[in-house]
Amino acid sequence: MKENIYARMQPERRPLRIFAFDPMPGRAPDQMLWRASDNRITIDVVNEEQLAAGPQGARIEVVDYDGPNDCYYTPVNLNDPALLMQDGLEPSESDPRFHQQMAYAVAMRVLENFDQALGRKLRFRRNFKSRRLRIFPHAFYGANAFYDPQQVALFFGYFQAEKENPGPNLPGQTVFTCLSHDIIAHEMTHALVDRLRRYFKEPSNVDVPAFHEGFSDIVAIFQHFSFPAILRLLIQESQTNLRQSAPLIQLAQQFGYATGRGTGLRSALEKEKPDPNLYQTVTEPHNRGSILVAAVFDAFFMTYQRRIKDLIRIATGGTGRLPEGDLHPDLVNRIAQEATQTAQSTLTMCIRAFEYLPPVDITFGDYLRALVTADLEISPADEFCERAAMIEAFRIRGIYPDNVTSLAEESLLWERVEEKWDDFPDTLNAWMRDQTIIDAQAFSRNAPLPRYNFPDVAKQFATWARKNASRLNLDPSLAINPLGFHPSFRVGPQGQLLVEMVMQFVQTEERTRTDDEFGGVPFRGGTTVITSADNTIRYIISKPLASKGLSKDKQAEARLRREKQLKFVERSDIYDTALVWYDQKHYQTRMAQRMNFAAMHRRIHP
Amino acid sequence: MTSKTTPAKNVIVRMYNVGFGDSFLLFFPAPDGRTRKVLIDCGVHMASTNKKALGMKEAVAQIIADATDPDGVPRLDVVIATHRHRDHVHAFEKPEWEEVEVKEVWMPWTEHPTNPKAKEIRDSQSKAASRVKKAAEKKFQMSVTAAERKEAEKAMILASNNLVNKKAMAMLHAGFSSQKTFGKRRYLPERAGGESFESPALPGVTVHAIGPSHDPKVISSMENDSEFYHLMMTHFDSSEMKTQPFRSEWRIPRRQFNANAKYKHLALSENEIKAVSEFNSVDAFGAAAKVEGAVNGTSLMLMFEIGSAFLLFPGDAQWGTWEAAMENEKWAALLEKTTFYKIGHHGSHNATPVKFVEEILHKGIWALACTGPTAAWTDIIPRPKLMKKLREKSKKVVRSDKADVPDPTTRDFKREEDNLYVEVEVRI
Repeated sequence: MKENIYARMQPERRPLRIFAFDPMPGRAPDQMLWRASDNRITIDVVNEEQLAAGPQGARIEVVDYDGPNDCYYTPVNLNDPALLMQDGLEPSESDPRFHQQMAYAVAMRVLENFDQALGRKLRFRRNFKSRRLRIFPHAFYGANAFYDPQQVALFFGYFQAEKENPGPNLPGQTVFTCLSHDIIAHEMTHALVDRLRRYFKEPSNVDVPAFHEGFSDIVAIFQHFSFPAILRLLIQESQTNLRQSAPLIQLAQQFGYATGRGTGLRSALEKEKPDPNLYQTVTEPHNRGSILVAAVFDAFFMTYQRRIKDLIRIATGGTGRLPEGDLHPDLVNRIAQEATQTAQSTLTMCIRAFEYLPPVDITFGDYLRALVTADLEISPADEFCERAAMIEAFRIRGIYPDNVTSLAEESLLWERVEEKWDDFPDTLNAWMRDQTIIDAQAFSRNAPLPRYNFPDVAKQFATWARKNASRLNLDPSLAINPLGFHPSFRVGPQGQLLVEMVMQFVQTEERTRTDDEFGGVPFRGGTTVITSADNTIRYIISKPLASKGLSKDKQAEARLRREKQLKFVERSDIYDTALVWYDQKHYQTRMAQRMNFAAMHRRIHP
Repeated sequence: MTSKTTPAKNVIVRMYNVGFGDSFLLFFPAPDGRTRKVLIDCGVHMASTNKKALGMKEAVAQIIADATDPDGVPRLDVVIATHRHRDHVHAFEKPEWEEVEVKEVWMPWTEHPTNPKAKEIRDSQSKAASRVKKAAEKKFQMSVTAAERKEAEKAMILASNNLVNKKAMAMLHAGFSSQKTFGKRRYLPERAGGESFESPALPGVTVHAIGPSHDPKVISSMENDSEFYHLMMTHFDSSEMKTQPFRSEWRIPRRQFNANAKYKHLALSENEIKAVSEFNSVDAFGAAAKVEGAVNGTSLMLMFEIGSAFLLFPGDAQWGTWEAAMENEKWAALLEKTTFYKIGHHGSHNATPVKFVEEILHKGIWALACTGPTAAWTDIIPRPKLMKKLREKSKKVVRSDKADVPDPTTRDFKREEDNLYVEVEVRI
């Protein structure tokens, strides 16, 4: 008898158990509603059939090597039938295999969020042999975790909680950063941001490092909302006011308590009213990043409230005042659905903006412009006023883009070009067609990841860009480095498919590479080009160098940006009281060092 | 020039050649004709390598001799310790000071014995310093290569400058002769924004206490001061570094793991192992440099005003204090009047703002740097670029350790024969 095709089909998803936040909830006295079991949830990730022990999948591998103890821990095999039967291992602090499972599951979730929002599958480039991002759940002793771009790996530390004032932790107990959902998601996002924009790890202005940190917190926080059981519990607990729900809006609570802070590591909300002065004065990357997080969270919250208004009206007979005591579980369910959808849509919006970012020197203002442009392209109607909420949330925090006359939606959009360029070589056209098909196929289940034939095509792209240098705001007298070109597929809320081609080019003012005044972060310019499927150039998003071929305005803009970068070096230097003790070699690369994630950890530069 | 017995007409500033450290004796003319003597700091850094400089013992003897009145009693009207660093207070541990009559002792407000905010700052700084010192020592013991050893040594030297010098601090807080009759202590500035006052110990002189700020963030020039100390706590407690996070049944020794065919796909190369282990060594040097900067931030910044003379002594104040001063209307106006400048922090890059040299300082003023060669920082401190900029502004720039005469025609300058000190006269 012929076997039924359904019998042979592999399951689509793989359920895995994790701690919803970290091992702490349920222990804290202010969370009397919580049972320890509430904190143990099952999430699902895409089922990789070839998943090996580690776990080692196609894009991520967990290598559990412990640096201080110079040993490995037994790797988990998630395809072991015993584990398949029970959604992986039971959450446990004492079993390293569970740590591996949780790190893998959370990292995969982040990756999938990016896949979905960007409409393409991102791969890493660790070296010629491997295209996997590595995760070390127990790499070092210390209260920290970081992404290392050199090794394309995430390193997690473990440490002992404070002896005095450890919060709900036991004094001196071992705390694992790899058991914190937020820390895993945060570090994973660092890796993905670096994968998408490699020059965002050069601190060329005060917003660049802050963007890296803030964006990573955004992803960590919004992923909280994709756990329905937890969400229902917290909606009940907070009477739908998710702003007051500490577990949702605080990041890395156990870590915060264990290091004696008496609260989470960071929060998605400001302590007081939004203050536009903060954006002018705060420079420390995590704190400055928190301004971005607060803006996005605020926008989310406005939309969420708008979306549940009808439900509250129905439930309260129009008064809008919820009765004291518990809410009806059906109501909680419906509100949780709205919260999840709003959160997912906000997160998607945030990630999607990446395609519309310049390749270098990002500012929060650029990010706002990218957010608005990307969202308008895919969802012009703005049914729930998400875009408007976002603009408002940025405005009240004093975040304005440069060179923009007003904060009206149409002036925030990147300049539309809408020109058909007919000099695109046939070979590139053919390549792009092929690529579109290959990338589209990658979205079918368990398809092998596509491989690009990069070097040749890169050269052709560079040649084309040189020919069109002045139109692309590039300097024809300098080398043009083509950083990437890829199609992206996105589906709008009305079901329409949007296919775009994204190209990035970067240039460097050579002299500044070795100039002490720049401290190892050269002055770069670059352009992101967005074209539609029929080769119509839609947007040219650029940070130009002062090339003679450009308009006077563009040249002035470039000079101003260069000056700004030098001022930023100067400012960083005078605040760096330690700099005086370092030698000349350090001095020459001091700016680059200031955003070296690993060095930031070693130099305890939090 | 004025000797210590004849009444001074102008302000005399004597800068002792203590090596890489600070020590100044000031003589002020007074309405009653009796010259008043003010000692600012006396100490040397562990890193100092100037063999020709005064040792601490000699320096103390010299200063006490210079402060001795015709009746044979050494008297200082005011002793000032700008901050608690070894290179500013070390010499006060000598018992000889017990013989010296001191009317007033001034210290930064962060030294106030009972102010809880001051205590918190002191405690976190000294706790951090001792942890870093321990971590540096451990690194030194474990270092294999010469380069590693040198790095660890540098960290140890830096860290030890921050350790609390209990004996010296005890002398400043409760020592010196004639405690009962005089011995008033002032912790400056007493008010958050600073203040101007006249002291009975220093008649005719208006003292402006400009800094340090009462805001911990300004002091440390760090936005996230407490964050820094949190990390300090968890990273640098070396006793805790040997932790086995899991039971032994989960552990697989490296060799065994590599030999197991089941795990071949996960085995790391030697280089990869090395890269991971690098993250396990704490950066004691970087941390020591940070603590050093934070303690410098507690420096007293004083301006002495007498007649038309304005003498600015910023200690080792860092950018935070400078920025606050330059942004304050009253202090900014005062800074512009400077006629004598004690170059901050032995001439390092962020203890004298570029803006102050280029836009605020007048031409032709006195600028003195108490400095000298060091174990590892000779080419960096004093910063050549800063010294050059100052010299463009004035010919009267003097270093304690170099036998350079600023302007041969000036008669307001004297260098002691053996270069034990230099002396300048600031007109009032």
